[in-house]
Amino acid sequence: MNPTLYLGFATLLFGIGLYGLLQRRSLVAMLISLELMLAAVSVNVVALTTLTGHDASMGQVVALILVGVAASETAIGLSLFVAIHRASHSIDVENLSELKG
Amino acid sequence: MTGTVLAALAAQAAPFLACALVLIFLRGRPRAAAGAAIAALTVSFAATALLVWQVAVPNVACGTPPGPCVTQALWLPVQGGAGLAFGVILDPLSATMALVVAVITLAVMVYSTGYMHGDPGFGRYFGFLAFFGWAMLGLVLASNLLQLLVFWELVGLASFLLIGFWFERAAPAAAARKAFIMTRVGDVGFLLGVLLLIRALGVATIPDVIAAATGPAPAFRVPLVAFLLLMGVIGKSAQGPLFTWLPDAMEGPTPVSALLHSATMVAAGVFLVARLHGLFAAAPAVMHGLLLLALVTALASATMAMVANDIKRVLAYSSISQLSYMLMGLAAGSVAAGFFHLTTHAGFKALLFLASGIFIHHAHSNDMREIAEHEPLSQKAGVIGLVAGSLALAGVIPFAGYFSKEAVLGAMGEHVGGVVLALAYFGAGLTAYYTFRMVFLTLRGAAAQAHRRTDAPTQPGPAAHEEHFSKAAHAAMAWPVLVLAALTLVLGYLGGFFAVRLSPALPHEGPFHVGTGAVVALALVAAGIALAWYEFGRAGALRLGFAERVPVLKSFFGDNWYLDRLYNATVVRWTVALSRAAKWNDHTVLDGASDVVAQGTVWGGRILAMGQNGFVQAYVAVAISVVAALGIWLMRTGGQP
Repeated sequence: MNPTLYLGFATLLFGIGLYGLLQRRSLVAMLISLELMLAAVSVNVVALTTLTGHDASMGQVVALILVGVAASETAIGLSLFVAIHRASHSIDVENLSELKG
Repeated sequence: MTGTVLAALAAQAAPFLACALVLIFLRGRPRAAAGAAIAALTVSFAATALLVWQVAVPNVACGTPPGPCVTQALWLPVQGGAGLAFGVILDPLSATMALVVAVITLAVMVYSTGYMHGDPGFGRYFGFLAFFGWAMLGLVLASNLLQLLVFWELVGLASFLLIGFWFERAAPAAAARKAFIMTRVGDVGFLLGVLLLIRALGVATIPDVIAAATGPAPAFRVPLVAFLLLMGVIGKSAQGPLFTWLPDAMEGPTPVSALLHSATMVAAGVFLVARLHGLFAAAPAVMHGLLLLALVTALASATMAMVANDIKRVLAYSSISQLSYMLMGLAAGSVAAGFFHLTTHAGFKALLFLASGIFIHHAHSNDMREIAEHEPLSQKAGVIGLVAGSLALAGVIPFAGYFSKEAVLGAMGEHVGGVVLALAYFGAGLTAYYTFRMVFLTLRGAAAQAHRRTDAPTQPGPAAHEEHFSKAAHAAMAWPVLVLAALTLVLGYLGGFFAVRLSPALPHEGPFHVGTGAVVALALVAAGIALAWYEFGRAGALRLGFAERVPVLKSFFGDNWYLDRLYNATVVRWTVALSRAAKWNDHTVLDGASDVVAQGTVWGGRILAMGQNGFVQAYVAVAISVVAALGIWLMRTGGQP
């Protein structure tokens, strides 16, 4: 099986996620974009496992674990955004520059 | 020997403990401080008296050939025999010198309870005096040259601290610095000499050094070492080109001048020459140079004493002159003569300083003409002390100075002749002249009124406490003076004692042996006193010496033969210029370089801080760009640089 198509799709997904991460000013939108990038990684893992000669289900298992990790990460991220919103009444990253040098 | 060693250790330990006790706990408690210091020196006095009784009187000697008894412990031994050794040396020379130091220190301490009464630094003063007592006794009893060097520097430190005792005034502070630095010039040579000896011998124990120097094949170059050690002697004993610190040292309290700058500390150089006489005698050319240098110094300082008006400066110049006579006696080959003069001089010069202190305290001035106007004759103890001390200093029979100076001149007569000997005798006449000029100027006040002058240098004594000045304080000042005055009549008969023990090989005559030398000396002394009487003493005298009438001579003699000006114009100026250059280098080059580094760090930080704009997305962009660049680089090169 030629994984090129899958790798191209993953690259597209990663690029969209990166664009969103850098472009959007809302923390929620940035988190969603981050999830896209993570999904691209999962696709890559599934596609590249077929090249190793091992059982292809290995990569699928890893992808499922990644989905679980992404879900917990999203939960932690969202709870942080709630806390930030309570503190500064905003989840716009432009307002969160107190660590400026 | 154990008992005497313990006594020698106790003599050093007592003042040290007193010094520590006074300086740490008793600075604010004058009576306790003075009590502790005097008690400690009483212990030292008893211990050193025991040493004299046990060592000097029976003339104990150890080893073959008989020499000083050394007891020392090697501390931190190094392979090859070197290391730091500490111990005591016991022979008639060290025992007698230790007793002299203890007696004079004790007398000066008792006197100081009166003289320094009410001074705000009273406790500190007694702490320093005890410190000096410890250092000086340590120097005298040191068994090897490294230990001696340590105490040699410690007495220098004591001198610095005590000259600058009234450091809040500019003149004593400057005088203290000058004394410290000028003696240090000589001490560089001393240090080098000691290092050469240590390199050659390991532990430079004093008898070993002498044995090595007089042996068939010395392990070191004897003339070089002798010369280097003499540099230290010249600095410490205020000889030759390095004497100008001593007159300035008179800025210290008068009892300090009596103790350090006439009787004991400045005699440390003379003591060292006596101690290592075998070494110096093995370098005859150096010894001859020392003789000539001492002769020139003796005459030069006598001329300076002839025109000084400050009583303490007169005494300081005479100390230099008498130290020169001691060195001449030693250089002429007689340890006994030189050390005999050291002993008698310690007695009568301390007496003269303490007596002058009574007048200074009374008149609140050092100027002899000022003192003369404050009824000096009312100070009975001072008058007795001044007259007895002056008779001894001038060398009038039967006072102590006569016998010892006779011994020195006699030793010189054996060794040198002609012009050198004649000049030495001439110096004795000058001594009598300037001594009695001082006596007449100080005590014959009535005739002075016509020549009252106002150019007196003002140096307030520790006074301004006159109202509290009690009878007890007067007695404390009078008794040491009277005891020392009695001693000037006794010490002169010790000549035989020293001759038998210190120079047994040389011929010796009884104290009242009157040869041509003695007649000539006495005639010169009489002439000097007569001239002083004619110019200063008789009713209607001009009270102006023959040297003072010639303006050129007056300024030349009165200004240390322009030596200070010479030093200021040359060495001091060069040193100051060098220091300025070093300061510029330090402030501009070194500090400047570190400033540039600091500024660069600050500016670099500011520039880098501009990147830290606080936007998370910018950071992410940078991070991803860097990772991407790294990835591309890895793909292209395969990780190979």
